[in-house]
Amino acid sequence: MSPFIVGGSQEALENEIADLELRLQKARDRLATSKTGPGHPGRQPPPAIPSEPSSSSAHHYLLLLSDSALPLGSFAFSSGLESYLAHTRRRGGPSITSSAAASASSFSSFLPLSLSSYASTTLPFVLAAHRDPTPASVAALDDMQDAAVICTVGRRASVAQGRALLSIWEKSMASTADPSASLAPYAELLRSAPKREGGGGEPPAAHAHLAPLFGAVGALCGLALRQTAYVFMLGHVKALVSAAVRAGLFGPYQAQRILAGAEVQGLLAEVIEREWDTPVEEAGQSVPVMDLWFGRHELLYSRIFNS
Amino acid sequence: MLSPFPKSSCLAGEGRIVVKLSPNNVSALESIAYQYPLKLISPASAAEQGSVLIFLLSYGGGLVAGDQINLSIDVQPNARLSIVTQGHTKIFRSVTPDIVTRQNLKVDIKDGAALCLLPDPVQPFESSIYEQVQIFKLTAGASLCLLDWVTQGRTARGENWSLGRWIGRNEVWTAPGSEASSSKGRLLLRDAVILDGATRPTGSPSLRESMHGNAIIGTLILRGPMTKSMGAFFLAEFAALPRLGARDFRSAELREKEEAIPQSPFERWRARRLQEERDKQVLWSAANVRGCIVVKFGATTVEAARNWIGTMLIQEGSIERDFGEQALMCVR
Repeated sequence: MSPFIVGGSQEALENEIADLELRLQKARDRLATSKTGPGHPGRQPPPAIPSEPSSSSAHHYLLLLSDSALPLGSFAFSSGLESYLAHTRRRGGPSITSSAAASASSFSSFLPLSLSSYASTTLPFVLAAHRDPTPASVAALDDMQDAAVICTVGRRASVAQGRALLSIWEKSMASTADPSASLAPYAELLRSAPKREGGGGEPPAAHAHLAPLFGAVGALCGLALRQTAYVFMLGHVKALVSAAVRAGLFGPYQAQRILAGAEVQGLLAEVIEREWDTPVEEAGQSVPVMDLWFGRHELLYSRIFNS
Repeated sequence: MLSPFPKSSCLAGEGRIVVKLSPNNVSALESIAYQYPLKLISPASAAEQGSVLIFLLSYGGGLVAGDQINLSIDVQPNARLSIVTQGHTKIFRSVTPDIVTRQNLKVDIKDGAALCLLPDPVQPFESSIYEQVQIFKLTAGASLCLLDWVTQGRTARGENWSLGRWIGRNEVWTAPGSEASSSKGRLLLRDAVILDGATRPTGSPSLRESMHGNAIIGTLILRGPMTKSMGAFFLAEFAALPRLGARDFRSAELREKEEAIPQSPFERWRARRLQEERDKQVLWSAANVRGCIVVKFGATTVEAARNWIGTMLIQEGSIERDFGEQALMCVR
């Protein structure tokens, strides 16, 4: 039913049942309204806001979290695309001009690499945080991911977006979605942690990496595990495609064609399946050159992105 | 009286090395033990070199499918140990993907002590299945220099990232109890590379394509007081790399004038190295990750990578000074 669900897991079925029940309820309401006749004010009182995230509110949050207007600042990052372009142009020699076909093909070879790399390094942390969104677990995952992000540029991108997500959650979403404020202890830990590590001292206790926070927020909003993983990975694709448009690789129609295409859908499903059971301890880089491109982004003479 | 032969331990592939500082202030082997297919050799003459030297070998120069090596190393306070190999560690093919060749390394390094592990690269053959886990526990005053690199395979036989699976994981932990805050020890760094030649998502590039022409990729990890200057050197050289896409806006005469200024030996070395990096397409980056310096590199030939890492380590000089030139024999 829901287009966001891939595969036929139990969760998918549960979501479908919840969705069908919701539609049944709505149909009954409409029936009741029509029975009361035209003389009656034809509106039911709106349903009270549920205190626990139900399937309907989960759907609502799913749309919010997948919205490209979610102010995470993702637009500032190209996830290595800008550096990749600079490096491949150099290797290809000056003969390759930026013809539309060449740009599109260079993006289409970057996209699967980037997806695979992002999934193998990051997705296990999203999944683990969704499976256990307690503050202690999120803090442990956050610290573990901090140890695994081995380049400055990648860390900057992950932490900037993670901090933005936590701010949105705390300032805007948590009061409705999670009245018990279950992430608050983690936010407190982050605030109390020193910003930069002192000379030779231990690294700070919390960093606010995006992946564990996204998993926890997804869980607290009532999103299913697979939905959360899918939205997270789709967000990465959307950010990449948008960066490609702004880098002048292709225009908005081509961008939407890539997003809507079967290739992206297939890749998303496959990388999520691949990382479904990967323990966070075994997450790692599946595309080693990505580390080089990422790390060398700092060497670009001119750049329009932060990563 | 000591037996001239190292003791043997009872489990296949098990090995243990303990190095301590002897009363006359020289690093010395306290014990060394190994079992087939692992083989350890320590030449006796190395006392004045600054560190104990050990060759990490395997019978026949490689590991066949299903071989497992578990080596644990203890470097006691103020002792120094260098580990090298003799030629690439070859990983032979596995008949089925569930037969995994493994190397596990567990290292404890105490205050003032240091380990320098600069082996030859691992060379995974076609259809080989290999997993390597190296875990280092360091107290606050301990030092580590670790090189971990892997090649495309046997080019003479047309292999080019034809391996089945290669997983390499390096972890640096603070030693339990060394910091007041943590009793269990804390993970400082986890560097993991997963090369999977077999199961790749449909429509995504093959492993070979995803390597983008690199014949070898590697990681250098530096931690601790003894690697401080080396770490600073890599970060400074990385920061000094020419900008990608930069243009030379100098006029022709100004350029001539500036080129006429005689260069210092260091500037000449750097210019030569940068030329090498351009010619052989050596790509590298360096970053400070939670107090560890992580250098990632890749090159289009194995020799280019060896020359590059060699010239960096030799030019900076602290490895040779602290561990002896023998520690560098695999990167020359």
